[in-house]
Amino acid sequence: MASNTPEIPWWLSKVLEVMWQNFVQYVPIILSALSNTLILAFFSFGLATVLGIVMAFAEVFTSKTILIIVSWVARVLRGVPLILSIFLVFYGLPKLGLTLPPLYAAILGIAIVDAGYQEQIFRGAIKAVSNRQLEAAYSLGLTRASAFLYVVLPQAFRIALPSWINDFTIVLKDTSIAYAIGVVEMFTQAIHVAQVIMDYMWPLVFVALIYLAICYPLSMLSNYLHGKLKMMGMLGSGV
Amino acid sequence: MLKEELLIVEDLWKFIDGKPVLKGITFDVSRGETKVILGPSGAGKSTLLRCINLLVVPDRGRIIFDGEDVLKRRDIHNVRSKMGFVFQHFNLFSHMTALENVMLGLVKVKKMPKHEAEKKAKEALMAVGIAEELWNRYPAQLSGGQQQRVAIARALAMEPKLILFDEPTSALDPELIWEVLNVMERLAKAKMTMIVVTHEIGFAMRVASEVMFLDDGMILERGPPEQVILNPCNERVKRFMDRMKYVYSLDTG
Amino acid sequence: MISELLYVSLKYGLLLLEGLRTTFIITIASYAIGFAGGLCIAIARVFFHKILKVFAGVYVELFRGTPMLVQLFFVYYALPEIGIRVDPVTASIIAIGLNSAAYQAEYIRSALSSIPYSEIEAAYSLGLTKLNILIYIMLPQAIRIAIPTLTNEAIYLFKYSSIAYFVTASELMYVGKLIATRTFLYVEVYVLLALLYILFSIVLSEIARYIERKLQIPGYVT
Repeated sequence: MASNTPEIPWWLSKVLEVMWQNFVQYVPIILSALSNTLILAFFSFGLATVLGIVMAFAEVFTSKTILIIVSWVARVLRGVPLILSIFLVFYGLPKLGLTLPPLYAAILGIAIVDAGYQEQIFRGAIKAVSNRQLEAAYSLGLTRASAFLYVVLPQAFRIALPSWINDFTIVLKDTSIAYAIGVVEMFTQAIHVAQVIMDYMWPLVFVALIYLAICYPLSMLSNYLHGKLKMMGMLGSGV
Repeated sequence: MLKEELLIVEDLWKFIDGKPVLKGITFDVSRGETKVILGPSGAGKSTLLRCINLLVVPDRGRIIFDGEDVLKRRDIHNVRSKMGFVFQHFNLFSHMTALENVMLGLVKVKKMPKHEAEKKAKEALMAVGIAEELWNRYPAQLSGGQQQRVAIARALAMEPKLILFDEPTSALDPELIWEVLNVMERLAKAKMTMIVVTHEIGFAMRVASEVMFLDDGMILERGPPEQVILNPCNERVKRFMDRMKYVYSLDTG
Repeated sequence: MISELLYVSLKYGLLLLEGLRTTFIITIASYAIGFAGGLCIAIARVFFHKILKVFAGVYVELFRGTPMLVQLFFVYYALPEIGIRVDPVTASIIAIGLNSAAYQAEYIRSALSSIPYSEIEAAYSLGLTKLNILIYIMLPQAIRIAIPTLTNEAIYLFKYSSIAYFVTASELMYVGKLIATRTFLYVEVYVLLALLYILFSIVLSEIARYIERKLQIPGYVT
């Protein structure tokens, strides 16, 4: 692999080559943990989306008091480092009588922090649907409920979509932190393999490429959608 | 020994996306002259002005400015510093105050010491009627008319030999147009050489030494304002002028 | 719970403060690397010729497309295999800094490209050179536009510096874990840590808002 590159000294390329040969047989083991990575990502992201949307709607469409409370809750959630959130769920909930296996604890831990971010995304999107549009909807005789349903929601969803997709890639990358409580996801498995073959280089490069293979297309998609929204003039202030 | 022509444009062509926008424009501007260019939108008026200032590089033709072939010069920015440009949307630098906007070119292009540039900038601002209390305001804190006058001051302070105006009043509220036209009229009286793209035919009538009518990348008619505006020979020019006279309720007598 | 919290903070207060100090060192140093790097990459992507643009683009996508944790492990565990060895704190600063450079480059680049071309055209019409336009017209505005995202990034790094715990850099998280295992007061210590992180995140975000207001151009609405 690296043996053709002239800049690397011969002994180093030799070493890397031997390492690679050692590593190759472990590829299926690392890949087998990809499913756990995806489960972590999808479930925590899904849960965070639900929480985020509920918080955003509560902020925009209910009372001032709730707005203040919810926005502070979101701020607090955003202030917790992910490892701590996972630790707190994993070590803290048993004290309240609820013991979760590592995988579930990690899902919940990631979702809690991410909910704080998704609240921001959806609140921004709902607010970006301008008041003028609501005015126009009311002027046509739409009720408050149908104005939200047919005017606000479809547009808010479109506006949120690029950031929402982008947030998924963040969550996917963050699942690696579940390593802290021993969830056997892809990163953890790569480290295990690294410890066995006493070489970190190839396992790390390998998992990096897999993360990249998932995140890069998604971030392209997000950029494309963002550009499209911009062209349609749908990005007002605040997004 | 100054030649009378400050600017000579010869057979100027510009293609955008393969389509000709300017089709062999030829004209000249004498020192102290105010040339007004009229024409429908999309006629190539803006492109013509931008070509003269090399903001857009023409594909064919010659531009001789102050005795020099501009297209052969490599230091384009030096040529530009001798020509002012006033834009339709003012294009003031939004992070700088009115005064800083006017000073920037003096300090960075003309390498003037700060205090000297400041003095000069203040003079320019006063000349366009921007009072002292507005000098330290940012563009967003000024009205459109004030912004455009600051933009004129910015061009004026550089002591340009020629100022190009690209529809300077088109983005203004009607009641603010006057203050900008007034400044321009005073400049014309002071024998500043100007090329003005505008729809203000009243202004053209009063100030222009010559009016050119541009459509579809060509000059359809040129001559004194009374002729081009009031009695055009070309059929298309006549139709355009009739509509303009209707909009501006100009009494043709 | 309260009494245990007090016990921990009294007994291990100094240790926690030291951890906090390391956390701040990692945050500030990696942010500085990220800003300097990000600025260069953004300018390269907007301003310079093809090869440099491609390099900058690959860098950004590579670092944004992979987990910071992988990058950190790479610097700390994999680089020694080819003879590059650094201590845990330095490794964290390098990894987090290089990662942040990719993100900050994107923030600055999108700010640079959001400056209306009309202003750049006006600067050209005055006879300014390309370099002068970058320095006096584009960068001052781009930095202002990017301030919210750039300060957000600082807060983000403050929290993410906690992953340095994985490579045994003795920052706040690591110190906390140490105290937790020593006292068996896991939950109490983690709650205390969470409170500290939340407190500083909020203080930092208030400072960020203040800076944002201070640098705002009067009357200018984006």
